[in-house]
Amino acid sequence: MALSKIDVVNMVTGATPVANGGTGQTTFAAAGLDKRPNATPLIVNGDMAVAQRSTSETGKTSAGYYTCDRMHANIDSIGTYTIIQESLSSGNAYINGFTKAWRIDTTTADASPASGDNFSFIYSFEGQDLQLFKKGTANAEKFTLAFWVKSNKTGTGNVNLFDTDNTRLIGGTYTISSADTWEHKVVNFAADTTGAFTNDNGQSLKIEWFLDSGTNFSSGTTDTAWGSKQDVDRNASGTLQIARNTDNDWAITGIQLEVGEYTSSTLPPFQHESYGDNLMRCHRYFEHRGYTIANQQVFTGQTISTTKCTGPVFYGVKRASPTITLGSAICGNQHNGVAGSVTALSTLQIGLDTARLDVTHNASTANFAITQGMAYVQLDDTGINGLKFDAEL
Amino acid sequence: MIVTKAKYYKDQNGVNGSINATIDNIECCVPIAEDNTHYQAILKWVAEGNTIEEAD
Repeated sequence: MALSKIDVVNMVTGATPVANGGTGQTTFAAAGLDKRPNATPLIVNGDMAVAQRSTSETGKTSAGYYTCDRMHANIDSIGTYTIIQESLSSGNAYINGFTKAWRIDTTTADASPASGDNFSFIYSFEGQDLQLFKKGTANAEKFTLAFWVKSNKTGTGNVNLFDTDNTRLIGGTYTISSADTWEHKVVNFAADTTGAFTNDNGQSLKIEWFLDSGTNFSSGTTDTAWGSKQDVDRNASGTLQIARNTDNDWAITGIQLEVGEYTSSTLPPFQHESYGDNLMRCHRYFEHRGYTIANQQVFTGQTISTTKCTGPVFYGVKRASPTITLGSAICGNQHNGVAGSVTALSTLQIGLDTARLDVTHNASTANFAITQGMAYVQLDDTGINGLKFDAEL
Repeated sequence: MIVTKAKYYKDQNGVNGSINATIDNIECCVPIAEDNTHYQAILKWVAEGNTIEEAD
């Protein structure tokens, strides 16, 4: 069937972001645009749909990537938390097309954080993905950040853009007006003609939503102009104090970063990707293999001794050579099916798209002792175990 | 990231190909690549006075 016309306006009309509790329609036409500035969302997994690591983590007291891909919880000596990929079935975020959110609940409070304690939710970018902001040039562009947020707490939150290449920062704030209610926020940031983002695969920019901190991060003032990073400014306006009570929670979804300055009524609609496209973009940073089916083989290699097999494993091209982990697994003889537990995983080489694994299994396994042929590595169960490749920022 | 152990592992040519490490209580294989954040954490751990064990 020949395609004679693509009606782009009608393809995007109908998205109805609700700005700060309002009901304004947002379309490309309303924004005076005939196309979206960027081909795909700058933020990967901004709708929180992909959660390869897990959908729930408990007892978290330190920083890490938990549940939703690309989303980082910076927890530094300030309480204990449960983090989940929350499923949405009602509320303003849901009726605007978001069915998943990243949510953190305080399970052990820190009622009085020490001065250096800090707690934030972070999204990081590679510098090569930010060149369209032309930062550090005379043509530098403004930034517009939009997101849906919900908390049991009302008050003001600090959200900063932190240029890690040049140690520069600009602050912004948002206000949660109603408890336990999804609200859409739009925050504008000035352009910066100083300090270019390095054009490589390293971290250049962090968006940091401060959730709580000690005075080392709150005793200054929120600086809404770009300047050298001052830690005391980073949570200077924050009143949410999520760490201080076990009643507290904070959730976010629908994060979008746009080039230029938009208001809640001119903001381009969130560009939803298919789950498959989203997952493939996430694989650049993290890939979890073999966790959906019990007793699935994740690797086949050549037996090189009575206790070892080695061979290549391939994965999607990564941002950087990934760190590799293997959960609970067995190593089996391909010929007679005899298997023993994997006692060690090592890597002879790790590259951007393949690695050569070196698997050691239990030497006492009866009848396994052949020195030629093939062996396989099989997961013990489903869930958090599996073969993982981590190239996160 | 909290690094508690790191040991080089030789590749098939007999040179250090990666590092077997324990980071955040998880055993993992870390490439010797400066843009890998786990390797960066190991380098920081070394700068703090720790040592990566030589390979067997």
